[in-house]
Amino acid sequence: MAAASYEGQRRRFVRAAIAPSIVFLLLVAGLPTLFLLVTSLTPGALVNPGSLSDFSNPLLNYKLLPGDDRFVGSLLVQARLSVYTVVLQVLLGTALALLVHSGQERWQSLRHLFVIPMVLPPIVVAVIWKLIYTPDISPVYQAARVLGFALPALTTHVDFALWSIVIADTWEWAPFTFLMVLAALQNLPAEHVEAARMDGADAWRVFGHIVLPYIGPVLLVCTLFRLIDSIKAFPLIFLLTGGGPGSVTEVTNYYAYIVAFNNGELGYSSAITVVLLAATVLISWVAMRSSRNAGGE
Amino acid sequence: MSRASSSFRRRWPLARWAVPLVLLLMLLPFLWLLQMSFKPTPLILAFPPRFFFVPTLEHYIGLWNSGFADSFVNSLVTASVSTLLALLLGVPAAYALSRWSGRGRFGLGLGILLTRMAPPIAFTIPFFLAYRWAGLLDTRSGLILIYMTFNLPLVIWMMQPFFDAVPASLEEAALMDGAGFPTVFLEIVMPMATAGIAATAILCFLYAWNDFFFALILTRTDARTAPVAVVNFMNYEGWEWGKIAAGGSLVMAPVLAFSMLVRRYLVSGLTAGAVK
Repeated sequence: MAAASYEGQRRRFVRAAIAPSIVFLLLVAGLPTLFLLVTSLTPGALVNPGSLSDFSNPLLNYKLLPGDDRFVGSLLVQARLSVYTVVLQVLLGTALALLVHSGQERWQSLRHLFVIPMVLPPIVVAVIWKLIYTPDISPVYQAARVLGFALPALTTHVDFALWSIVIADTWEWAPFTFLMVLAALQNLPAEHVEAARMDGADAWRVFGHIVLPYIGPVLLVCTLFRLIDSIKAFPLIFLLTGGGPGSVTEVTNYYAYIVAFNNGELGYSSAITVVLLAATVLISWVAMRSSRNAGGE
Repeated sequence: MSRASSSFRRRWPLARWAVPLVLLLMLLPFLWLLQMSFKPTPLILAFPPRFFFVPTLEHYIGLWNSGFADSFVNSLVTASVSTLLALLLGVPAAYALSRWSGRGRFGLGLGILLTRMAPPIAFTIPFFLAYRWAGLLDTRSGLILIYMTFNLPLVIWMMQPFFDAVPASLEEAALMDGAGFPTVFLEIVMPMATAGIAATAILCFLYAWNDFFFALILTRTDARTAPVAVVNFMNYEGWEWGKIAAGGSLVMAPVLAFSMLVRRYLVSGLTAGAVK
């Protein structure tokens, strides 16, 4: 009797605690996702009031996508940006972590300062790099002038614009890999390293045979996380290049933004976003599976 | 350290200083913005750059008098209120999930990961249309609501390990003595998880504070937040680098202070949903 009422109380409490959150999440995340899917089936445009409920040709947007050069081009830009930034960040972040880990004891407390670029508001990061890429005011351009050569304006140059984004993004997010790898290194069993040293392994072989396999899963998680986040790249592109010159730095996310909020074509933009969302879901699923297999932290 | 690295240090005395040197090099762009915010206007464009100057607050004062204060307050209000609401809804949910849910965790984890990973534009288009219809564009309430989409999942995810760490035996003893579940939760469990709640609150606040995309699209003037206001100094009022630097520094100040407080939890906050 007492047990039954205890069960009942417990169940009521759990329901009362969880239900509001679930209802709310369905309302602010589930419903909008559904709404996005529905909008992507309309030719919805802000200038044309009836168009958001026009389902006469539901798959039209998706049929237009493969023939849209700007969309296809944006996927390529996205792929290049993602690959360059993720590779550079994981390499640099790991190198930084190894440097700090093997550095002297007295510098250990400095490690917290290495994460500053990552915690800064993204738009402040963009402002900082705008400062560096603006020739009139940039210390880098001034230094180049002193040394007697003229740097091209990176952010407006067809060949360098994407790299200017890559550099800024790498600066911002290499600390993420740094933080994750450093945490892993601190858990690395010291006796394994010692044993290998005893057997006469040099630093490179210790790294290749013991450290790298140990931090491998963490590197995979970093790669996947940064890959997903690179799809969201926005503030840097918005402030530094505006997607240009031409559409050299126009990633898919940015193109979707232009289509929706510059051109007012919300239906078509929704279709682009659905494609992005599908890619995100796919990578997230892989990320979750692999981090679970890696045993998490 | 090993023999190899110590002989390396002897040959390259600079290696001893590698960590601080690399750190300095890395933080240079950030320090450049900071020093510029205190530089008198005539010196900002001076060439070669002046490293020693009498610092001035003119840019900060000018900024504050130009309506930036309103945007700063908007940022404070939207970030705080959305954090508070997310805690109110999410903390009990996290507790219940921590204690009594074996199933559903994988699904929940995936759901949380998705809301965290989805490109913001996926939420922005539907919210924009709904707000236009409901008159919530350019309002603080509208921003608070959309910030909940990422803050509520973050709370639920971040708080569970803290509740896992509270020993269940305490609650059982209290329940045996006839205390109700809500009482046990509020008076026994919550006080033991205050550190976790504080850390979670700070992370939520930072996420909302750092937002640029949602505020850019969903606000115009009345509810404009500080990050958007900083960018507006570039677009409309010419290139007032002093003010831009001061605005950027003001926007990042609370972030730097808070993130040093929660540095232990940065990893779990950033990888919410995927890494335990």
